[in-house]
Amino acid sequence: MYSWFILFPLLSVIILNLPFRGMMNKIAIWYALALSIAQVYLVLFPVNIVMPFLQLNLNADIISRAVLLCIAIVLFVTILSAKYLIKKEDKLFNFVNLLFICLAGMNGVTLVTDIFSLYVFIEITAVASYTLISFYKDKDAFEAAFKYIMLSAMASAMMLAGIALIMLISGDTGFFAIREALKVSPHSSLIVFAIAIFICALFIKGGLMPFHGWLPDAYSAAPAPVSVLLAGVVTKTLGIYGLIRIMVSVIGFDGPLKQALLFIGALSIVVGALAALGQSDFKRMLAYSSISQVGYIIIGLGTGTALGIFGAVFHLFNHAIFKSSLFLNSAAVESRLGTRDMDKMNGLASKMPVTGITSVISCLSAAGLPPLAGFWSKLIIIVALWVSGYRVYAVVAIMASVITLAYFLSLQRRVFFGRIKEDSMNIKEAGIGLTLPAVILTAIIIGVGIAFPFLRDAIKF
Amino acid sequence: MSAESLQLFCTFGIFIFMLAAIGVYCMLATYNLIRALIGVELLLKAVTLLIVAVGYITKHNALTQAMVITFIVIEVVVMTVAIGVVLGIRSHTNSLDARDIRNLKG
Repeated sequence: MYSWFILFPLLSVIILNLPFRGMMNKIAIWYALALSIAQVYLVLFPVNIVMPFLQLNLNADIISRAVLLCIAIVLFVTILSAKYLIKKEDKLFNFVNLLFICLAGMNGVTLVTDIFSLYVFIEITAVASYTLISFYKDKDAFEAAFKYIMLSAMASAMMLAGIALIMLISGDTGFFAIREALKVSPHSSLIVFAIAIFICALFIKGGLMPFHGWLPDAYSAAPAPVSVLLAGVVTKTLGIYGLIRIMVSVIGFDGPLKQALLFIGALSIVVGALAALGQSDFKRMLAYSSISQVGYIIIGLGTGTALGIFGAVFHLFNHAIFKSSLFLNSAAVESRLGTRDMDKMNGLASKMPVTGITSVISCLSAAGLPPLAGFWSKLIIIVALWVSGYRVYAVVAIMASVITLAYFLSLQRRVFFGRIKEDSMNIKEAGIGLTLPAVILTAIIIGVGIAFPFLRDAIKF
Repeated sequence: MSAESLQLFCTFGIFIFMLAAIGVYCMLATYNLIRALIGVELLLKAVTLLIVAVGYITKHNALTQAMVITFIVIEVVVMTVAIGVVLGIRSHTNSLDARDIRNLKG
Protein backbone atom coordinates (compact mmCIF):
# COMPACT_ATOMS: atom_id res chain seq x y z
CA MET A 1 0.00 0.00 0.00
CA TYR A 2 2.93 2.35 0.59
CA SER A 3 3.50 2.70 -3.17
CA TRP A 4 0.33 4.79 -3.27
CA PHE A 5 1.96 7.46 -1.15
CA ILE A 6 4.43 8.09 -3.98
CA LEU A 7 2.45 7.14 -7.07
CA PHE A 8 -0.75 8.96 -6.26
CA PRO A 9 0.72 12.48 -6.12
CA LEU A 10 2.65 11.80 -9.34
CA LEU A 11 -0.47 10.47 -11.08
CA SER A 12 -2.34 13.51 -9.80
CA VAL A 13 0.09 15.82 -11.59
CA ILE A 14 -0.58 13.97 -14.83
CA ILE A 15 -4.35 13.95 -14.32
CA LEU A 16 -4.45 17.65 -13.49
CA ASN A 17 -2.48 18.55 -16.61
CA LEU A 18 -4.47 16.45 -19.07
CA PRO A 19 -7.17 18.27 -21.10
CA PHE A 20 -10.03 20.03 -19.27
CA ARG A 21 -7.53 22.48 -17.79
CA GLY A 22 -10.33 25.00 -17.28
CA MET A 23 -12.21 22.66 -14.98
CA MET A 24 -9.08 21.35 -13.29
CA ASN A 25 -7.98 24.91 -12.48
CA LYS A 26 -10.96 25.22 -10.16
CA ILE A 27 -10.81 21.85 -8.45
CA ALA A 28 -7.01 21.52 -8.11
CA ILE A 29 -6.84 23.20 -4.71
CA TRP A 30 -9.70 21.15 -3.23
CA TYR A 31 -8.18 18.04 -4.68
CA ALA A 32 -4.87 18.84 -2.95
CA LEU A 33 -6.64 19.43 0.37
CA ALA A 34 -8.46 16.11 0.03
CA LEU A 35 -5.20 14.35 -0.76
CA SER A 36 -3.48 15.71 2.36
CA ILE A 37 -6.43 14.73 4.56
CA ALA A 38 -6.38 11.27 2.96
CA GLN A 39 -2.69 10.97 3.82
CA VAL A 40 -3.34 11.87 7.48
CA TYR A 41 -6.07 9.25 7.58
CA LEU A 42 -3.98 6.55 5.89
CA VAL A 43 -1.05 7.12 8.23
CA LEU A 44 -3.17 6.98 11.36
CA PHE A 45 -5.39 4.11 10.22
CA PRO A 46 -3.45 1.99 7.71
CA VAL A 47 -5.61 0.29 5.12
CA ASN A 48 -4.12 -2.48 3.07
CA ILE A 49 -4.87 -1.41 -0.49
CA VAL A 50 -3.48 -4.07 -2.78
CA MET A 51 -1.29 -2.88 -5.60
CA PRO A 52 -1.75 -5.25 -8.54
CA PHE A 53 1.31 -4.13 -10.51
CA LEU A 54 4.54 -2.25 -9.93
CA GLN A 55 5.67 -3.54 -6.55
CA LEU A 56 8.07 -0.96 -5.17
CA ASN A 57 10.49 -1.93 -2.47
CA LEU A 58 9.17 0.26 0.34
CA ASN A 59 8.87 -0.03 4.06
CA ALA A 60 7.60 2.13 6.89
CA ASP A 61 8.33 1.90 10.58
CA ILE A 62 7.11 4.21 13.32
CA ILE A 63 9.68 6.91 12.44
CA SER A 64 8.59 7.04 8.81
CA ARG A 65 4.96 7.18 9.82
CA ALA A 66 5.55 10.08 12.19
CA VAL A 67 7.28 11.97 9.37
CA LEU A 68 4.52 11.09 6.89
CA LEU A 69 2.03 12.53 9.37
CA CYS A 70 4.05 15.77 9.66
CA ILE A 71 4.23 16.06 5.88
CA ALA A 72 0.48 15.67 5.52
CA ILE A 73 -0.37 18.18 8.27
CA VAL A 74 2.07 20.82 7.03
CA LEU A 75 0.94 20.28 3.44
CA PHE A 76 -2.66 20.85 4.54
CA VAL A 77 -1.89 24.20 6.17
CA THR A 78 0.37 25.21 3.26
CA ILE A 79 -2.46 24.67 0.81
CA LEU A 80 -4.94 26.60 2.98
CA SER A 81 -2.58 29.56 3.25
CA ALA A 82 -1.72 29.38 -0.48
CA LYS A 83 -5.42 29.51 -1.33
CA TYR A 84 -5.64 32.73 0.64
CA LEU A 85 -2.34 34.33 -0.41
CA ILE A 86 -2.06 33.40 -4.10
CA LYS A 87 -4.83 35.28 -5.83
CA LYS A 88 -4.36 34.28 -9.47
CA GLU A 89 -5.96 30.99 -10.41
CA ASP A 90 -3.24 30.04 -12.90
CA LYS A 91 -0.47 30.65 -10.38
CA LEU A 92 -2.34 28.63 -7.79
CA PHE A 93 -2.67 25.75 -10.22
CA ASN A 94 1.09 25.76 -10.89
CA PHE A 95 1.74 25.96 -7.16
CA VAL A 96 -0.43 22.93 -6.48
CA ASN A 97 1.34 20.94 -9.20
CA LEU A 98 4.74 21.74 -7.71
CA LEU A 99 3.43 20.82 -4.26
CA PHE A 100 2.38 17.42 -5.60
CA ILE A 101 5.88 16.77 -6.95
CA CYS A 102 7.33 17.87 -3.62
CA LEU A 103 4.90 15.59 -1.79
CA ALA A 104 5.81 12.59 -3.94
CA GLY A 105 9.48 13.26 -3.30
CA MET A 106 9.13 13.65 0.45
CA ASN A 107 6.93 10.58 0.80
CA GLY A 108 9.53 8.72 -1.23
CA VAL A 109 12.34 9.82 1.07
CA THR A 110 10.46 8.56 4.09
CA LEU A 111 9.59 5.19 2.59
CA VAL A 112 12.59 3.99 0.56
CA THR A 113 14.77 1.09 1.59
CA ASP A 114 17.82 1.72 -0.52
CA ILE A 115 20.36 4.44 -0.49
CA PHE A 116 20.29 5.37 -4.19
CA SER A 117 16.49 5.77 -4.22
CA LEU A 118 16.92 7.96 -1.16
CA TYR A 119 19.19 10.18 -3.24
CA VAL A 120 16.74 10.21 -6.18
CA PHE A 121 13.79 11.27 -4.04
CA ILE A 122 15.86 13.89 -2.21
CA GLU A 123 16.76 15.37 -5.57
CA ILE A 124 13.12 15.33 -6.79
CA THR A 125 12.01 17.26 -3.72
CA ALA A 126 14.94 19.66 -3.98
CA VAL A 127 14.21 20.50 -7.63
CA ALA A 128 10.57 21.19 -6.83
CA SER A 129 11.59 23.42 -3.93
CA TYR A 130 14.07 25.47 -6.03
CA THR A 131 11.16 26.29 -8.30
CA LEU A 132 8.87 27.00 -5.36
CA ILE A 133 11.38 29.40 -3.76
CA SER A 134 11.63 31.47 -6.94
CA PHE A 135 7.89 31.24 -7.51
CA TYR A 136 7.27 35.00 -7.68
CA LYS A 137 10.43 35.67 -9.70
CA ASP A 138 11.72 38.49 -7.49
CA LYS A 139 15.42 39.20 -7.17
CA ASP A 140 16.00 38.02 -3.62
CA ALA A 141 14.16 34.78 -4.29
CA PHE A 142 16.37 34.06 -7.30
CA GLU A 143 19.47 34.80 -5.25
CA ALA A 144 18.34 32.46 -2.48
CA ALA A 145 17.41 29.76 -4.98
CA PHE A 146 20.81 30.03 -6.67
CA LYS A 147 22.64 29.66 -3.36
CA TYR A 148 20.48 26.66 -2.50
CA ILE A 149 21.15 25.10 -5.92
CA MET A 150 24.92 25.49 -5.65
CA LEU A 151 25.15 24.06 -2.13
CA SER A 152 22.70 21.31 -3.01
CA ALA A 153 24.76 20.38 -6.06
CA MET A 154 27.81 20.04 -3.83
CA ALA A 155 25.73 17.90 -1.49
CA SER A 156 24.55 15.74 -4.41
CA ALA A 157 28.10 15.16 -5.57
CA MET A 158 29.23 14.24 -2.06
CA MET A 159 26.26 11.98 -1.49
CA LEU A 160 26.75 10.12 -4.77
CA ALA A 161 30.48 9.75 -4.20
CA GLY A 162 29.63 8.30 -0.81
CA ILE A 163 27.15 5.89 -2.37
CA ALA A 164 29.70 4.80 -4.99
CA LEU A 165 32.40 4.16 -2.38
CA ILE A 166 29.98 2.27 -0.13
CA MET A 167 28.98 0.16 -3.15
CA LEU A 168 32.61 -0.75 -3.55
CA ILE A 169 32.41 -2.97 -0.47
CA SER A 170 28.72 -3.88 -0.39
CA GLY A 171 28.04 -4.33 -4.11
CA ASP A 172 24.43 -3.36 -3.50
CA THR A 173 22.54 -0.25 -2.48
CA GLY A 174 19.90 -1.77 -0.19
CA PHE A 175 19.98 -0.69 3.47
CA PHE A 176 20.16 -4.27 4.69
CA ALA A 177 22.95 -5.33 2.32
CA ILE A 178 25.05 -2.32 3.25
CA ARG A 179 24.58 -2.97 6.95
CA GLU A 180 25.71 -6.56 6.54
CA ALA A 181 28.73 -5.46 4.50
CA LEU A 182 29.68 -2.80 7.05
CA LYS A 183 29.67 -5.42 9.81
CA VAL A 184 32.36 -7.35 7.93
CA SER A 185 34.70 -4.41 7.34
CA PRO A 186 33.68 -1.50 9.54
CA HIS A 187 36.82 0.58 9.84
CA SER A 188 38.63 0.66 6.54
CA SER A 189 39.62 4.25 5.83
CA LEU A 190 37.73 4.30 2.53
CA ILE A 191 34.47 3.44 4.26
CA VAL A 192 35.00 6.00 6.99
CA PHE A 193 35.59 8.61 4.27
CA ALA A 194 32.49 7.49 2.34
CA ILE A 195 30.26 7.67 5.41
CA ALA A 196 31.73 11.03 6.40
CA ILE A 197 30.99 12.69 3.06
CA PHE A 198 27.52 11.10 2.91
CA ILE A 199 26.66 12.49 6.33
CA CYS A 200 28.15 15.91 5.48
CA ALA A 201 25.89 15.98 2.41
CA LEU A 202 22.87 15.33 4.64
CA PHE A 203 24.04 18.11 6.98
CA ILE A 204 24.09 20.51 4.02
CA LYS A 205 20.58 19.44 3.01
CA GLY A 206 19.35 19.86 6.58
CA GLY A 207 21.06 23.25 7.01
CA LEU A 208 23.10 22.44 10.11
CA MET A 209 25.46 24.99 11.53
CA PRO A 210 28.71 24.91 9.55
CA PHE A 211 26.70 24.32 6.36
CA HIS A 212 23.74 26.61 6.98
CA GLY A 213 24.56 29.46 4.55
CA TRP A 214 21.63 28.93 2.24
CA LEU A 215 18.94 28.33 4.84
CA PRO A 216 18.08 31.78 6.28
CA ASP A 217 18.13 33.27 2.78
CA ALA A 218 15.90 30.60 1.32
CA TYR A 219 13.40 30.77 4.16
CA SER A 220 13.17 34.53 4.20
CA ALA A 221 13.13 35.12 0.43
CA ALA A 222 10.59 32.41 -0.40
CA PRO A 223 6.88 33.25 -0.70
CA ALA A 224 5.02 32.82 2.59
CA PRO A 225 3.31 29.45 1.92
CA VAL A 226 6.61 28.06 0.63
CA SER A 227 8.43 29.15 3.79
CA VAL A 228 5.87 27.21 5.80
CA LEU A 229 6.50 24.11 3.71
CA LEU A 230 10.30 24.49 3.61
CA ALA A 231 10.72 25.14 7.32
CA GLY A 232 8.10 22.65 8.38
CA VAL A 233 8.94 19.60 6.36
CA VAL A 234 11.17 19.93 3.29
CA THR A 235 14.56 20.45 4.93
CA LYS A 236 13.57 18.26 7.85
CA THR A 237 12.61 15.36 5.61
CA LEU A 238 15.56 15.69 3.25
CA GLY A 239 18.34 16.30 5.72
CA ILE A 240 17.23 15.30 9.17
CA TYR A 241 14.98 12.36 8.44
CA GLY A 242 17.54 11.15 5.90
CA LEU A 243 20.20 11.31 8.62
CA ILE A 244 18.02 9.51 11.17
CA ARG A 245 17.18 6.79 8.65
CA ILE A 246 20.80 6.29 7.61
CA MET A 247 22.00 6.21 11.21
CA VAL A 248 19.28 3.87 12.46
CA SER A 249 18.95 1.48 9.53
CA VAL A 250 22.36 1.47 7.89
CA ILE A 251 25.40 2.70 9.77
CA GLY A 252 24.49 2.17 13.38
CA PHE A 253 26.01 4.21 16.19
CA ASP A 254 29.63 4.06 17.20
CA GLY A 255 31.88 6.30 19.28
CA PRO A 256 33.39 8.92 16.93
CA LEU A 257 30.19 9.28 14.93
CA LYS A 258 28.17 9.91 18.09
CA GLN A 259 30.68 12.51 19.22
CA ALA A 260 30.51 14.22 15.82
CA LEU A 261 26.70 14.33 15.88
CA LEU A 262 26.63 15.65 19.44
CA PHE A 263 29.19 18.33 18.63
CA ILE A 264 27.44 19.50 15.44
CA GLY A 265 24.10 19.44 17.27
CA ALA A 266 25.38 21.50 20.19
CA LEU A 267 27.09 23.96 17.82
CA SER A 268 23.88 24.41 15.83
CA ILE A 269 21.81 24.90 18.98
CA VAL A 270 24.06 27.58 20.47
CA VAL A 271 25.13 29.48 17.35
CA GLY A 272 21.64 29.30 15.80
CA ALA A 273 20.07 30.69 18.97
CA LEU A 274 22.67 33.46 19.32
CA ALA A 275 22.28 34.42 15.66
CA ALA A 276 18.50 34.49 16.07
CA LEU A 277 18.85 36.98 18.93
CA GLY A 278 20.41 39.55 16.59
CA GLN A 279 17.86 39.47 13.78
CA SER A 280 15.33 42.16 13.07
CA ASP A 281 13.60 40.43 10.14
CA PHE A 282 10.71 38.26 11.36
CA LYS A 283 11.33 35.36 8.96
CA ARG A 284 15.12 35.41 9.34
CA MET A 285 14.76 35.10 13.09
CA LEU A 286 12.49 32.11 12.60
CA ALA A 287 15.00 30.61 10.15
CA TYR A 288 17.89 30.85 12.64
CA SER A 289 15.62 29.49 15.33
CA SER A 290 14.95 26.59 12.97
CA ILE A 291 18.69 25.84 12.79
CA SER A 292 18.83 25.90 16.58
CA GLN A 293 15.86 23.55 16.98
CA VAL A 294 17.29 21.15 14.42
CA GLY A 295 20.35 21.04 16.65
CA TYR A 296 18.17 19.54 19.39
CA ILE A 297 17.02 16.82 17.01
CA ILE A 298 20.61 15.98 16.07
CA ILE A 299 21.83 16.02 19.65
CA GLY A 300 19.01 13.64 20.58
CA LEU A 301 19.96 11.38 17.71
CA GLY A 302 23.61 11.56 18.77
CA THR A 303 22.93 9.74 22.05
CA GLY A 304 22.23 6.62 20.01
CA THR A 305 19.79 5.26 22.58
CA ALA A 306 16.18 4.36 21.84
CA LEU A 307 15.02 7.14 24.17
CA GLY A 308 17.19 9.71 22.40
CA ILE A 309 15.97 8.70 18.96
CA PHE A 310 12.39 8.79 20.19
CA GLY A 311 13.01 12.30 21.52
CA ALA A 312 14.59 13.33 18.22
CA VAL A 313 11.64 12.12 16.13
CA PHE A 314 9.15 13.62 18.56
CA HIS A 315 10.97 16.95 18.43
CA LEU A 316 11.00 16.74 14.63
CA PHE A 317 7.22 16.38 14.73
CA ASN A 318 6.81 19.21 17.24
CA HIS A 319 9.18 21.44 15.32
CA ALA A 320 7.19 20.92 12.11
CA ILE A 321 4.02 21.97 13.92
CA PHE A 322 5.22 25.02 15.86
CA LYS A 323 7.53 26.38 13.19
CA SER A 324 4.77 26.14 10.54
CA SER A 325 2.48 27.98 12.91
CA LEU A 326 5.06 30.75 13.46
CA PHE A 327 5.70 31.13 9.73
CA LEU A 328 1.92 31.42 9.22
CA ASN A 329 1.91 34.18 11.84
CA SER A 330 4.73 35.96 10.03
CA ALA A 331 2.74 35.65 6.80
CA ALA A 332 -0.31 37.11 8.54
CA VAL A 333 1.67 40.08 9.86
CA GLU A 334 3.37 40.62 6.51
CA SER A 335 0.09 40.48 4.61
CA ARG A 336 -1.34 43.26 6.80
CA LEU A 337 1.70 45.50 7.34
CA GLY A 338 3.57 44.85 4.11
CA THR A 339 6.89 44.53 5.95
CA ARG A 340 8.79 41.91 7.93
CA ASP A 341 10.98 44.38 9.82
CA MET A 342 10.22 43.88 13.49
CA ASP A 343 11.36 47.38 14.44
CA LYS A 344 8.44 48.80 12.49
CA MET A 345 5.85 46.78 14.41
CA ASN A 346 4.53 47.09 17.92
CA GLY A 347 1.47 46.12 19.87
CA LEU A 348 -0.16 44.12 17.11
CA ALA A 349 -1.81 41.73 19.58
CA SER A 350 -4.65 44.16 20.24
CA LYS A 351 -5.46 44.38 16.53
CA MET A 352 -4.68 40.78 15.52
CA PRO A 353 -5.73 38.72 18.56
CA VAL A 354 -5.80 35.28 16.90
CA THR A 355 -2.35 35.72 15.36
CA GLY A 356 -1.03 37.03 18.66
CA ILE A 357 -2.33 34.15 20.76
CA THR A 358 -1.28 31.41 18.33
CA SER A 359 2.21 32.88 18.06
CA VAL A 360 2.60 33.09 21.85
CA ILE A 361 1.63 29.44 22.23
CA SER A 362 3.92 28.33 19.38
CA CYS A 363 6.84 30.32 20.81
CA LEU A 364 6.34 28.86 24.26
CA SER A 365 6.18 25.37 22.78
CA ALA A 366 9.45 26.04 20.94
CA ALA A 367 11.08 27.33 24.11
CA GLY A 368 9.90 24.22 25.95
CA LEU A 369 7.38 25.38 28.52
CA PRO A 370 5.10 22.77 30.07
CA PRO A 371 2.52 21.53 29.30
CA LEU A 372 2.99 22.31 25.59
CA ALA A 373 4.21 19.65 23.18
CA GLY A 374 7.71 21.11 22.79
CA PHE A 375 8.38 20.68 26.50
CA TRP A 376 8.03 16.90 26.38
CA SER A 377 10.32 16.39 23.41
CA LYS A 378 13.03 18.64 24.86
CA LEU A 379 12.67 16.92 28.23
CA ILE A 380 13.08 13.50 26.62
CA ILE A 381 16.16 14.63 24.69
CA ILE A 382 17.79 16.13 27.80
CA VAL A 383 16.95 13.07 29.91
CA ALA A 384 18.39 10.82 27.20
CA LEU A 385 21.59 12.90 27.16
CA TRP A 386 21.88 12.80 30.95
CA VAL A 387 21.19 9.07 31.22
CA SER A 388 23.74 8.13 28.55
CA GLY A 389 26.42 10.18 30.29
CA TYR A 390 26.75 13.21 28.02
CA ARG A 391 26.10 15.61 30.87
CA VAL A 392 27.97 18.57 29.37
CA TYR A 393 25.73 18.43 26.32
CA ALA A 394 22.65 18.15 28.54
CA VAL A 395 23.68 21.34 30.31
CA VAL A 396 24.32 23.06 26.95
CA ALA A 397 20.84 22.03 25.79
CA ILE A 398 19.22 23.43 28.93
CA MET A 399 21.16 26.69 28.75
CA ALA A 400 20.33 27.14 25.06
CA SER A 401 16.68 26.63 25.95
CA VAL A 402 16.94 29.86 27.96
CA ILE A 403 18.36 31.68 24.91
CA THR A 404 15.46 30.26 22.89
CA LEU A 405 13.02 31.76 25.36
CA ALA A 406 14.96 35.03 25.22
CA TYR A 407 14.74 35.51 21.47
CA PHE A 408 11.14 34.42 21.28
CA LEU A 409 10.20 36.83 24.06
CA SER A 410 12.08 39.57 22.24
CA LEU A 411 10.06 38.68 19.11
CA GLN A 412 6.82 38.82 21.07
CA ARG A 413 7.71 42.09 22.74
CA ARG A 414 8.68 43.76 19.49
CA VAL A 415 5.78 42.49 17.37
CA PHE A 416 2.76 41.75 19.50
CA PHE A 417 3.07 43.33 22.95
CA GLY A 418 3.34 46.97 23.91
CA ARG A 419 1.62 50.07 22.58
CA ILE A 420 0.42 50.08 19.03
CA LYS A 421 2.03 52.55 16.64
CA GLU A 422 0.02 55.43 15.21
CA ASP A 423 0.31 54.37 11.57
CA SER A 424 -0.95 50.84 12.25
CA MET A 425 -4.10 51.84 14.13
CA ASN A 426 -6.51 50.56 11.49
CA ILE A 427 -4.92 47.14 10.94
CA LYS A 428 -7.39 44.27 10.89
CA GLU A 429 -6.94 40.58 11.71
CA ALA A 430 -5.58 38.53 8.80
CA GLY A 431 -8.07 36.51 6.80
CA ILE A 432 -9.44 33.10 7.70
CA GLY A 433 -6.95 31.47 5.31
CA LEU A 434 -4.07 32.36 7.64
CA THR A 435 -5.74 32.24 11.06
CA LEU A 436 -7.56 28.93 10.66
CA PRO A 437 -4.38 26.90 9.88
CA ALA A 438 -2.57 28.59 12.78
CA VAL A 439 -5.45 27.72 15.10
CA ILE A 440 -5.41 24.11 13.91
CA LEU A 441 -1.66 23.85 14.53
CA THR A 442 -1.95 25.47 17.95
CA ALA A 443 -4.69 23.02 18.85
CA ILE A 444 -2.34 20.19 17.89
CA ILE A 445 0.43 21.69 20.07
CA ILE A 446 -1.84 21.95 23.11
CA GLY A 447 -3.56 18.61 22.45
CA VAL A 448 -0.31 16.67 22.06
CA GLY A 449 1.19 18.43 25.06
CA ILE A 450 -1.67 17.57 27.38
CA ALA A 451 -2.33 14.09 26.02
CA PHE A 452 1.32 13.01 25.86
CA PRO A 453 1.60 11.59 29.41
CA PHE A 454 -1.36 9.36 28.58
CA LEU A 455 -0.11 8.49 25.11
CA ARG A 456 3.38 7.59 26.32
CA ASP A 457 2.52 3.92 26.83
CA ALA A 458 0.51 3.67 23.64
CA ILE A 459 3.46 4.65 21.44
CA LYS A 460 5.38 1.49 20.82
CA PHE A 461 8.92 2.39 20.01
CA MET B 1 39.20 -6.21 -3.42
CA SER B 2 42.17 -7.87 -5.12
CA ALA B 3 45.49 -6.12 -5.69
CA GLU B 4 44.89 -5.85 -9.42
CA SER B 5 41.50 -4.21 -9.09
CA LEU B 6 42.85 -1.92 -6.38
CA GLN B 7 45.51 -0.71 -8.77
CA LEU B 8 42.88 -0.18 -11.46
CA PHE B 9 40.73 1.72 -9.02
CA CYS B 10 43.65 3.94 -8.03
CA THR B 11 44.28 4.82 -11.67
CA PHE B 12 40.64 5.73 -12.10
CA GLY B 13 40.66 7.47 -8.77
CA ILE B 14 43.48 9.88 -9.64
CA PHE B 15 41.72 10.97 -12.81
CA ILE B 16 38.36 11.32 -11.03
CA PHE B 17 39.95 13.33 -8.25
CA MET B 18 41.59 15.67 -10.76
CA LEU B 19 38.30 16.22 -12.57
CA ALA B 20 36.52 16.92 -9.29
CA ALA B 21 39.27 19.31 -8.21
CA ILE B 22 38.99 21.21 -11.50
CA GLY B 23 35.22 21.44 -10.96
CA VAL B 24 35.55 22.78 -7.42
CA TYR B 25 38.26 25.23 -8.47
CA CYS B 26 36.02 26.42 -11.31
CA MET B 27 33.17 27.00 -8.84
CA LEU B 28 35.34 28.90 -6.38
CA ALA B 29 37.47 30.96 -8.75
CA THR B 30 34.82 32.60 -10.89
CA TYR B 31 32.20 35.27 -10.33
CA ASN B 32 30.32 34.33 -13.48
CA LEU B 33 27.17 32.37 -12.67
CA ILE B 34 27.22 30.27 -15.84
CA ARG B 35 30.87 29.32 -15.27
CA ALA B 36 30.02 28.31 -11.72
CA LEU B 37 27.35 26.00 -13.12
CA ILE B 38 29.92 24.54 -15.54
CA GLY B 39 32.07 23.83 -12.49
CA VAL B 40 29.15 22.00 -10.89
CA GLU B 41 28.73 20.00 -14.08
CA LEU B 42 32.39 18.97 -14.03
CA LEU B 43 32.10 17.89 -10.40
CA LEU B 44 29.01 15.84 -11.12
CA LYS B 45 30.67 14.27 -14.17
CA ALA B 46 33.56 13.17 -11.95
CA VAL B 47 31.06 11.48 -9.66
CA THR B 48 29.39 9.78 -12.62
CA LEU B 49 32.77 8.41 -13.67
CA LEU B 50 33.34 7.17 -10.13
CA ILE B 51 30.07 5.20 -10.22
CA VAL B 52 31.02 3.68 -13.58
CA ALA B 53 34.45 2.73 -12.25
CA VAL B 54 32.96 1.13 -9.16
CA GLY B 55 30.54 -0.86 -11.33
CA TYR B 56 33.41 -2.08 -13.49
CA ILE B 57 35.51 -3.18 -10.53
CA THR B 58 32.74 -4.85 -8.51
CA LYS B 59 31.25 -6.49 -11.66
CA HIS B 60 27.85 -4.93 -10.95
CA ASN B 61 27.66 -3.30 -14.37
CA ALA B 62 23.88 -3.57 -14.79
CA LEU B 63 23.10 -1.88 -11.48
CA THR B 64 25.58 0.95 -11.98
CA GLN B 65 24.40 1.53 -15.54
CA ALA B 66 20.86 1.97 -14.25
CA MET B 67 22.17 4.33 -11.56
CA VAL B 68 24.19 6.39 -14.03
CA ILE B 69 21.29 6.80 -16.42
CA THR B 70 18.98 7.85 -13.59
CA PHE B 71 21.63 10.26 -12.39
CA ILE B 72 22.09 11.82 -15.83
CA VAL B 73 18.36 12.47 -16.06
CA ILE B 74 18.30 14.07 -12.60
CA GLU B 75 21.33 16.18 -13.43
CA VAL B 76 19.71 17.50 -16.61
CA VAL B 77 16.60 18.51 -14.67
CA VAL B 78 18.63 20.24 -11.96
CA MET B 79 20.70 22.10 -14.55
CA THR B 80 17.59 23.20 -16.42
CA VAL B 81 16.15 24.69 -13.26
CA ALA B 82 19.52 26.25 -12.39
CA ILE B 83 19.83 27.89 -15.81
CA GLY B 84 16.27 29.15 -15.41
CA VAL B 85 17.25 30.76 -12.12
CA VAL B 86 20.36 32.31 -13.71
CA LEU B 87 18.21 33.75 -16.52
CA GLY B 88 15.89 35.16 -13.86
CA ILE B 89 18.82 36.80 -12.09
CA ARG B 90 20.00 38.24 -15.42
CA SER B 91 16.57 39.71 -16.12
CA HIS B 92 16.81 41.61 -12.81
CA THR B 93 20.43 42.74 -12.71
CA ASN B 94 21.28 42.65 -16.42
CA SER B 95 24.57 40.92 -15.68
CA LEU B 96 25.84 37.45 -14.84
CA ASP B 97 28.15 38.62 -12.07
CA ALA B 98 27.73 37.00 -8.67
CA ARG B 99 28.87 40.26 -7.04
CA ASP B 100 25.63 41.91 -8.19
CA ILE B 101 23.48 39.62 -6.05
CA ARG B 102 24.48 40.34 -2.49
CA ASN B 103 21.24 41.45 -0.91
CA LEU B 104 20.92 38.50 1.43
CA LYS B 105 23.67 37.96 3.91
CA GLY B 106 23.66 34.21 4.42
